[in-house]
Amino acid sequence: MRLAAIFVTTLGWATYLGGVLVMEMVWRPLQADLPPAQTGVLCQQMGVRYRWLALSALLAAGAAWTTLQLTSSYALATRQWQTILGLSSLALLAALVIAMGAFVHPLSHQRSRSGSSPEERGELRSRRVRAIAIMNIMLRAELAIALLATLIVAWPAHTLTAGGIR
Amino acid sequence: MTATWVSVLASYLHLLAAAVYVGGSVAMELVVRPAQRFVPPAQAQVIGQRAADRFLVLVWSALALFPISGILLFFSLGDQHTLAGGRIFTTSYGQTLLAMMLLWVVLVINGAIITFVFRPRLLERASARAGGRAASEHVEALQSAARWVSYITRADLAIALFIVLLGASMAYGHGLF
Repeated sequence: MRLAAIFVTTLGWATYLGGVLVMEMVWRPLQADLPPAQTGVLCQQMGVRYRWLALSALLAAGAAWTTLQLTSSYALATRQWQTILGLSSLALLAALVIAMGAFVHPLSHQRSRSGSSPEERGELRSRRVRAIAIMNIMLRAELAIALLATLIVAWPAHTLTAGGIR
Repeated sequence: MTATWVSVLASYLHLLAAAVYVGGSVAMELVVRPAQRFVPPAQAQVIGQRAADRFLVLVWSALALFPISGILLFFSLGDQHTLAGGRIFTTSYGQTLLAMMLLWVVLVINGAIITFVFRPRLLERASARAGGRAASEHVEALQSAARWVSYITRADLAIALFIVLLGASMAYGHGLF
């Protein structure tokens, strides 16, 4: 049970963090060399897939980690701050992914209706630019929080030795 | 106190390397690759190549980080005694560690095959003066190389998942075997 919980926590977290890193270090620099139309299509497609992958991974990691903390009397007795911080970080990250997926990302891909006036088109364009700028800030914040949360997940190592907790 | 901080740092780097390798591979497989279907094939090929070039840098960094952080973690936890006197072969902990190291070697070999054998083949361009037969042979070779890269990448992901299981068993138990 504990092995399964640790395995799912590590796997869920690694999947989530790896996804964030690929988006930041592979996809973002790649956009600079692509035509804007194709960037838009790819961004839209990847955004939807990434949202579901990130949410599933976060949910799996959160559930397994909570199980592990609840079933380990040692962890609860000595590391309450870690449990609270860890779960808060996971909730914050999930909220960021949901906010990006449900509000900011769709806004950055909004198209103008046929027959809309130049003023409406201009306003929509400035809204899109604003959404992209907010999205960039949120993605960086997500990466920073994820890297900090990894420290929380990694923290118990010094209480462990081969053969389990002493 | 210093050993504590070294073990926290080593554990952090080990987890980061696992995230880059496992999570990165999952994201490339489930997010980046399927999205390429929505752009014209020629553009998708360019995107695929550039994404793979960047991802390979991350993969090699992670593969280099695994043994460095692993050794640091092992010694900072004071685990040397658990493997003294050939116990790496006789104890469950030792056998699990040995399996992890052997599988890491497999990942390095597979990574080298992709980087130095198949990637150059995929980047090769057909000669402008080549005839129709040579051109179709070139396309066939490209498709074959792409297929092999895909097989090896998936096998690597399966191996990496098993390594995570081995690591989990070592961190919170006596090993998997």
